[in-house]
Amino acid sequence: MYESSNPYRPIRTEVLETIEETPTIRTLKLKPDERISFETGQFIELTVPGAGEAPFTPSSEPSVQEALEVSVMRVGKVTERIHALKAGDTVGLRGPFGSGYPLDEFLGKELLVVGGGCGFAPLRSLMYELFRRSREFKKLLFRGGCRTPKDFLYRRQIEGWANRDDLDIELTVDEGDGDWRGNVGVVTTILDGLKMDPDTGVAVVCGPPVMMKFATMKLLDLGFKKSNLYLSMEKNMSCGFGKCGHCRIGTYYTCKDGPVFRYDKISDYPNIWD
Amino acid sequence: MDHQFISRANLPSLLSDLQEAYSVILPVRKGESRFYEPLTSFQADRQTGKEEPQSPSENNYVIGEVRASEPLKAFFFQPKQRVAENYQDATPARAGKPLCIVGVKACDLKGFKVLDTVFIGPDYEDPFYKKAREENLIISADCTSVLDVCFCLSLDLNPYPQDNFDINLSDIGEGYVVQPGSDKGERLLERFSDYFREASSAQIKTRDQQRASVTEQVRKNIQANGVPVQDRLAGVVRENYEHPLWKEEAETCVECGACNTICPTCHCFLLLDQLDNRDLVRYRLWDSCLIKDFAEVAGGANPRPQLWMRLRNRFEKKFDFFPKVNNMYACTGCGRCILACPGKIDIRNVLKRNVENVRK
Repeated sequence: MYESSNPYRPIRTEVLETIEETPTIRTLKLKPDERISFETGQFIELTVPGAGEAPFTPSSEPSVQEALEVSVMRVGKVTERIHALKAGDTVGLRGPFGSGYPLDEFLGKELLVVGGGCGFAPLRSLMYELFRRSREFKKLLFRGGCRTPKDFLYRRQIEGWANRDDLDIELTVDEGDGDWRGNVGVVTTILDGLKMDPDTGVAVVCGPPVMMKFATMKLLDLGFKKSNLYLSMEKNMSCGFGKCGHCRIGTYYTCKDGPVFRYDKISDYPNIWD
Repeated sequence: MDHQFISRANLPSLLSDLQEAYSVILPVRKGESRFYEPLTSFQADRQTGKEEPQSPSENNYVIGEVRASEPLKAFFFQPKQRVAENYQDATPARAGKPLCIVGVKACDLKGFKVLDTVFIGPDYEDPFYKKAREENLIISADCTSVLDVCFCLSLDLNPYPQDNFDINLSDIGEGYVVQPGSDKGERLLERFSDYFREASSAQIKTRDQQRASVTEQVRKNIQANGVPVQDRLAGVVRENYEHPLWKEEAETCVECGACNTICPTCHCFLLLDQLDNRDLVRYRLWDSCLIKDFAEVAGGANPRPQLWMRLRNRFEKKFDFFPKVNNMYACTGCGRCILACPGKIDIRNVLKRNVENVRK
């Protein structure tokens, strides 16, 4: 729950560091003047003074309250300005907003995390939390894909997860290059042969809309229940608290009722992937 | 409190007295329409003796008749509101006195019901709307005539206020039957009791007859245009989701958004940031779901790239989302969008087509 009396007000925030992740993605380490705590999967609105706001889901550990990180793909006006920010610059931050991943509902279950492209940003935050509590889950699986090895966000870090004994992980790229030794193909090609029971297992999917659509269809084919699929929906979330009307899906506002939705809640609405 | 009565002569005195605490806003007749204008002074107007004053004078203000051309929401959810300055937690203050808005009709009061569910609670509150709702005074009035486009009865409303007002006035010719609708209204009647006397049973009867007569006129209007009543609207937009009617109705739409801005229940807005002398200033501006980029995301994906999809979305929001989420249709039957639309898209006809297709 947002605590400011004026929900439109951004909190003054210092850019501590910027990291070039891929040709189109930068990570910003941010220190708000006031402590904010978020649950993994919730999002914040980042203000570039004078340029406007855009929503991002933090990619850092939710348990670290002093600073947080967002990874931003350059796709529009505001993100262009975010990419131009330097350490020491001042930005604004509102939130956190929405409902994140309902971790309590995953406890004791086999949990599959499927990610694609810039979807690794929210999922990294989730994975930190899952690793911290890995004993509380029956099994953790990660399946991730990117367009090319060059676009692979957090590549070193995610490849490093292969050494963990609490995670079953496979990665793929749509198009390989000379260095890539892993699987080549879209993410759905590494969803066959999962060592888990789709009847009782839970899956979290986050990535570009097309990837989410096909991954969701594939998981349903494999026998996953609609009510066990959790999707991060990307809509035009502006105010963050269900008033401005831009991010409606059916009877929900993505900013308030999402951005993480259980698939059975939204599957009957038309055009959810557009 | 029983029904009170205020004479035609006493009403300007009451409004003048209210100016001490409020900026008084009155509907003024201009041509065939009525527009809200601030009252400066009845006295000043009398002295200057202007023939056709644009501000309210004793000759041109309108208590009864029908709704003003502008929606009441503009005073509560302003077209452009400064909502944040730099990183300060305080809400930017509103200049001037609270408003006393006079002659508000039942259709606009239903607008409050819809906007209250949006802007006040249960989880987040818009501090600007909430403050305006708390501070402003509403002196509503019965409709004493009907426009061709009026269809409030279809939305289960009557052409006279039943809730969400502080004081209601029913124009019965010699003066007004007065009814309080809130504690604030009751206190005002007590404080200014010199202007009021108890309404006679004959006066109340006159009011009731007039209400029945105006209601009957709206009923005839609705019948003549075949407007469905709201009970028959349940689920029809979703059932007709893929019907060609949306493309057909959108053929004349010019994507101006007039239907949104003129609507007493449309609440969508965008946030605009500017630098004002190096200070960060954030505005909340009315937005329109008919405009192409309304739901577009930064990467360019747009859930409603075609104009007809956006027209359908407007109806889905009002006649599917709102009844499911807030148990009310987000339409008041005021007919403003019918008059405002340059493409002559008629909400009554769109609803009628939806209901008829489902029946087929």
